[in-house]
Amino acid sequence: MTKASERAFVRMEQVGHCYDPTAGNMAVQQIDLEIHRHEFVAVVGPSGCGKSTLLRMVAGLLIPSEGKVSVFDRQVTEPRDDVGIVFQKPTLLPWLTVRDNVLFPLKHKYGLVTAADKTRAEELLAMAGLAQFSARMPDELSGGMQQRVGIVRALLLNPDILLMDEPFSALDAMTREQIGFDLLNIWTEHPKTVLFITHSISEAVLLSDRVLVMSQRPGTVLDLIEIDIPRPRSAATINSPRFAELTARIRKHIYEPEVHV
Amino acid sequence: MSQKSMSNKTALSDTRAPAIRQWLLNYASALFFIAFVVLWELVCRVGKVPVYILPSPLSIVNAFFDVEFSRWLEHLWATLRVALMGFALSICISIPLAIAMVRSEFLSRTIYPALVVIQSTPVVAVAPLIIVLMGTGDMSRVLITCLITFFPLVVSTATGMLETPEELIELSKSLRAPRYRETWQIRIPYAIPHIFSGLKVSITLAIIGAVVAEFVAAEKGLGYFIQFSTSFFKIPQAFAGLIFLAVVSLVLFKSVQWAQQWLYPWSIPKNKR
Repeated sequence: MTKASERAFVRMEQVGHCYDPTAGNMAVQQIDLEIHRHEFVAVVGPSGCGKSTLLRMVAGLLIPSEGKVSVFDRQVTEPRDDVGIVFQKPTLLPWLTVRDNVLFPLKHKYGLVTAADKTRAEELLAMAGLAQFSARMPDELSGGMQQRVGIVRALLLNPDILLMDEPFSALDAMTREQIGFDLLNIWTEHPKTVLFITHSISEAVLLSDRVLVMSQRPGTVLDLIEIDIPRPRSAATINSPRFAELTARIRKHIYEPEVHV
Repeated sequence: MSQKSMSNKTALSDTRAPAIRQWLLNYASALFFIAFVVLWELVCRVGKVPVYILPSPLSIVNAFFDVEFSRWLEHLWATLRVALMGFALSICISIPLAIAMVRSEFLSRTIYPALVVIQSTPVVAVAPLIIVLMGTGDMSRVLITCLITFFPLVVSTATGMLETPEELIELSKSLRAPRYRETWQIRIPYAIPHIFSGLKVSITLAIIGAVVAEFVAAEKGLGYFIQFSTSFFKIPQAFAGLIFLAVVSLVLFKSVQWAQQWLYPWSIPKNKR
């Protein structure tokens, strides 16, 4: 409503990174990006273009060798604990029940878990449609349910920023669409700033407010596309002409990069 | 449960041949064992093989019962005590050592080569020296057992801890959790399946270690029993001791498996639980 909501929440200025300074080849370079508070930004690009590198920079797990990343006007110089990360694989701990997996970040950070935390974990699980699975072990769940648990785990500490690194890429197409809409519902109820890495163009358009299209390695910004499709979005969105236009525009960048460069 | 459903299936198929086949499959190892023993007995009788070359199964069984049961227990206890103490000592040393090596690059660079040198030195050759150094008591035998068992444990524990998914380490970093919790709550539990495969190798090595130590210096124990039976040409008795030792080793191995199933059922692949 106010200015605060319009202020850039995550800001990248001329960011570049080089994993191996002796070889000198950049993983990403000259990235400028501003993400507003509670905005859903998707990043698409070919494999190895440094999408995950961007995500790790926002989390503070990786400090860029060039430029700077700041969150709320503070430069990121160390790992941030106000981000929730969802990985490509669910990476649940096989020796903990679903509920204890959700509670793991608290247990890991503070060493103890209160009754209130347990209630919150159960609530979050119920929101993700997993209420009756809270006492199960992870290997009793399907891949899609495991990834939902992974998302719920990332939401436990109520982070301002949700970082998702190709979270649905290991799922089959139908599960993938459903879990995408569920994610949107959760995001609508509990607004968060989301950075969503994916290699699916339609998924990026379907879910996000803006799509950042990256080039081949070294990754640079090819385009930043406003997705002006009204929310709430549904399966019908996919059939709308605007959806087709936007996906076509992104596809053009990916498959005909010479047109742009 | 699975056997029941299997027999139902064969009954439904209504042909006799698959039923027999299934039965043969189910008892394959027992049938093979019985056939082997019968063949052994036949070869000994028909070929009139002298007992000091190959005693027949029946003569081994007789020799087993000729020895008083309390004597068997005495020898068993002597060997088991050394094997289990050596095994326990080895667990106490190797698991903390592996944790230290994973946590510190410096330690892993300094200790690991030393471990490889110790492992490459044949313990059988070192055993007499240890007896000379430490005397003929239990302690020297325990040390020999420990030396032979600890390497697989160190390697399996360290491997398991290093195979933790990188994402979980990132999760731990992003939570800014203290490093000891990364070790205790993520790396060590992840190493459990590896630790148990190390323990399974080590427990059988522990029996070998105890027997080797008894060969060098002992007045009790199953290894000692086999050695002295052989030197008095009581070959069936030596075989009885050998088979007893193998059974003990097998029971210990199975106990480790049971312990894993009981304590950490999640660490066993779902289809084998």
